[in-house]
Amino acid sequence: MNLMILELAVVVLGLGILLGDLWTAAHQKHLLGYAAAALLGVILLASFFGLEQVGSGPAYAFNNMLVLDGLAVFFKRFFLIAAILVLLMSVEFSNRIQSGISEFYCLILFALTGMMFAASANDFIMVFVALELISVTFYVLNSFQRNRLASLEAGIKYLILSALSAAFLVFGIALVFGTTTFTNFADIQRALVANPALAGNGLFLLGVLMIIVGLGFKIAAFPFQIWAPDVYQGSPTPSTAFLAVGSKAAGIVLLLRVLFVAVPAVTQHWSKLLIIISAITILYGNLCAIPQRNLKRLLGYSSISNAGYLLLGFAALSQAGKAAILYYLAGYLFTVVAAFTVICLVTRDRDSDDITVLAGLHRRSPLLAMALTMAMVSLAGIPPLAGFFGKFLLLKAVVEQGATNSAYYWLVGITVFGVVISLYYYFGVIRAIYWSKDVTDFSPITVSWPAKLSLVVCMAAILYLGLLPGKPLKLSEDSALALTTPVSGSKQLFH
Amino acid sequence: MKPVGLEHYLVVSGLLFCLGLWGVIVRRNLLIIYMSLELMLNAANLALVAFSRFNNKLDGQVMVFFVITVAAAEVAVGLALIVALYRKKQSAHVEDLTTMKS
Repeated sequence: MNLMILELAVVVLGLGILLGDLWTAAHQKHLLGYAAAALLGVILLASFFGLEQVGSGPAYAFNNMLVLDGLAVFFKRFFLIAAILVLLMSVEFSNRIQSGISEFYCLILFALTGMMFAASANDFIMVFVALELISVTFYVLNSFQRNRLASLEAGIKYLILSALSAAFLVFGIALVFGTTTFTNFADIQRALVANPALAGNGLFLLGVLMIIVGLGFKIAAFPFQIWAPDVYQGSPTPSTAFLAVGSKAAGIVLLLRVLFVAVPAVTQHWSKLLIIISAITILYGNLCAIPQRNLKRLLGYSSISNAGYLLLGFAALSQAGKAAILYYLAGYLFTVVAAFTVICLVTRDRDSDDITVLAGLHRRSPLLAMALTMAMVSLAGIPPLAGFFGKFLLLKAVVEQGATNSAYYWLVGITVFGVVISLYYYFGVIRAIYWSKDVTDFSPITVSWPAKLSLVVCMAAILYLGLLPGKPLKLSEDSALALTTPVSGSKQLFH
Repeated sequence: MKPVGLEHYLVVSGLLFCLGLWGVIVRRNLLIIYMSLELMLNAANLALVAFSRFNNKLDGQVMVFFVITVAAAEVAVGLALIVALYRKKQSAHVEDLTTMKS
């Protein structure tokens, strides 16, 4: 019970917001978002006092379905921070949502619960339920602007493709369960060690592949990325931001656990597959982003390429790679939230997300211009910001593996090529801010203090993660320790 | 005649899954696509129950309960979305989902 106290607190908060809605006057309802964000902040602080037992090793609950270890705690805090920043963004967005703004906040909290359960999942049943909790809430979040056709379309596209990936996931789980007779990660790992022939069983491998399909959809890796640009473009901006950060990170943590805890033997064998997916995802995301003129669509393609960078850490198959994934995600969180907050504020009075709305932003609001510039520079991977150091760690992990397989050097080459391409479109955004010719609108943009606070926090975090990487790197290395393969001899399975 | 064994169930479940996938790919009506998706989920359910029965373990059956429950929730939200789209657009065909063509 103690292990899911944070999730319970978030659910109670969500229900509380729904109830609070009944006693709040219509013109004040948007303020509930601030209340929710503040209370999530309290939960986040409480997580630093209530979870000390983590230091003494992982704790399990519900017949080992839930695990609370360093990795789970890292991701729970990650999701809490993301939700707080997204809630602050949603308040700025509230004037564009006709009705039910408190339901919007409450759905964000429920999606957050799903993500936090995903961080703790140690059993395929748990994986399925947590993922579906995230998906179903996002169907509604993505189509929340019911009177905007683009938003509805985004919701329906996400619905169909997410349900399709869920079907693959369940069938994969069925096959893995059928061949190993277990759904628990640790049990499956033990079964693989006890019976090495299993790792060559076609049905079992097909099952693992289908599970990877289901999770690959969540992180928008090639070839399951087709939904991302449309859904990112059509959804309300706060939903897009939460989708880009929270949903992707939930997919990453589940992929980490499945690949390195449940089926490490298969993962060793499939490093080539991971290398190929990672390389194609990076190339696809970066090449397709070049001609985009819609800011949210551009960030959609950028999010695909970032999924590719994150997969580098998986392909490296090393402890350094896993730690680099966590570090990169932390930088990605603040960068993407900063970018979407600026987009949300700039497009407040307009109906368009076109890149031209940024024209003259540095005169209309220097803070917004600076935040967006920092976000773009960090995404492009220019030192000294968070994105640079994250990419550096990922590439370092890949290069270290180069001795075992020369394909890793190719992967590094392709990544560097991708990063160079990305400079072009990220700087296109910066150019649109500072050097646009036809600036027509010089009216200053007023930014409320909570939004200012969230932007300042994001910028400080981007700088901190880029300049002083010591402490956060230690934290991500410690968190990744949960993913060490404890069962010895798993590498000999294929001899 | 051979008694009905695990393979028979798995073949049926595999066929149902492929049938569902085929429907999702070729059909153009959102409702039919949604039905095909449910077919895929139920194919997985059949496989889970069959494995459960032949492995003498109940985990698969428990999983099926979760899948059915979650699928019900998913259908509730999904049909609501399709109805909302139909009201707006007077169509439930995938060809008409082109607002964001760039």
